[in-house]
Amino acid sequence: MAQRTAAERLLAAPAKTAGAGLCLALAVAALAGCGGSSDGSGSQGTASTATGTASAGPPDPSSGAAAKPASAAGKGQGDGGGSSSGAGKPNGGEKKHGTPVTLPKSEAGREHAPTAAEKANSTIADMTLLSPSFPMAEGIAAIPAPYTCDGQNSTPALRWAGVPTGTKELILYVMNAKPVNGRLFFDWALAGIDPRSESLEAGRLPAGAVVGTNSFARQGYSICPEPGGAETYIFALFALPEALSPKPGFDPRALREEILGVSGDVGLLTAIYARG
Amino acid sequence: MRRKATAIGAAFAALAVLCAMFATAASATPAWKFESKSLEGTEVVLGAAIDSSLTIPGLTTKCANFLYKVTIKNEAGTGKGEVTEVPLYNCTTDQPEVCTVGSIGAEKLPWPVKLTTVSTSNYIVIEGVKVAIKYAGIECALGGVTVNVTGTAGGIVDNATETATFNSTTFGATGTELRALATKILWTGVFPTEAFQWHREQPLSVS
Repeated sequence: MAQRTAAERLLAAPAKTAGAGLCLALAVAALAGCGGSSDGSGSQGTASTATGTASAGPPDPSSGAAAKPASAAGKGQGDGGGSSSGAGKPNGGEKKHGTPVTLPKSEAGREHAPTAAEKANSTIADMTLLSPSFPMAEGIAAIPAPYTCDGQNSTPALRWAGVPTGTKELILYVMNAKPVNGRLFFDWALAGIDPRSESLEAGRLPAGAVVGTNSFARQGYSICPEPGGAETYIFALFALPEALSPKPGFDPRALREEILGVSGDVGLLTAIYARG
Repeated sequence: MRRKATAIGAAFAALAVLCAMFATAASATPAWKFESKSLEGTEVVLGAAIDSSLTIPGLTTKCANFLYKVTIKNEAGTGKGEVTEVPLYNCTTDQPEVCTVGSIGAEKLPWPVKLTTVSTSNYIVIEGVKVAIKYAGIECALGGVTVNVTGTAGGIVDNATETATFNSTTFGATGTELRALATKILWTGVFPTEAFQWHREQPLSVS
């Protein structure tokens, strides 16, 4: 009965999607592994994925991942022409795989990839953003001291590509990857960058650029983690389909909300600085 | 006459060497096997990750249920296949109070799979990986942004435990990498490699 109850839980969510079928197939295998026990283990959501017995043959994957729930649960061995199901198992009823895995109990919580509509209404990281100022260490950019408060706190050089046609303004943010005291921490916010440009030179601001007030309460740039700490920074260059044209000293938090509301593209770069 | 015979002998010798080389190469390419017999036709591997996480520097994403369906086969003695489905459930970040997963999903499936041997160890290499993740959270640095994770992933196959393990060591050994935010990112996980179609309950090995 425990098998049926657990199966019914899964079946409660219609197996409309491929993932649902896959989930169901795994669940059937897990239930088979319960061996009809009535201790409720089958409903705990954990089981080895291949501890089946001869009494519960495999579902028919050939029917697509959206397996037929009723037949999958009730089929005997040899389904689908397989000759080794159950009968060919080497270990009899022994549990072959020891590590249990957690299976979803239903379609609730099933994630989905961003849909086309969602992508159209969100900021997509499709642009490339790189810094020739940052050497790569094991595939991750490392910020040299001259570009931090341990040096001259000079702005780094940046290069980008893939700015969409029709972009009206580029806005650059540098943020701590992890919030400080629960709040997003802004190290640099630079608006008004010419959408036709493809780079920033180190230590220089482009003509027409407007600097916001960072979380150090300064209109400028600063990479300055706590002494002895390492921090990951995210550089984000937003390409906007409409110009927001903020004023000097603008609030980067408020502007960011506006930016995300206009559904542009963004180039992202992460870099790490470990302060001695 | 003697010159002609010598030439023919040399040709046979060269052919023999080539055959020997080919045989060596063939035996060095790993294949999917059930009870020491090479898989004929196709088989389906279904599984759920025992543990898995994706780490962009500064932010780690985990899914409570990471399922996968892989169709495997041997081609010319070498293990191949493709990942056809990767449904994910209940995904969260290591900064749950500020960063949540708005949506996440595998894209451009199927992803081609092949087996390879590096320094006597067998690896599974998944190519064309693409996962789109949209993070949410007003205080999240990546909030509101859809991040694309792309690249190739290599994991070591353990015949004893029937698992494939992906970590920085296996990525390094196979020369593979996943990237996002112009950075190499880390995907770790242990994935059971259990057959679910014709060879269910038979040990799946790679050799």
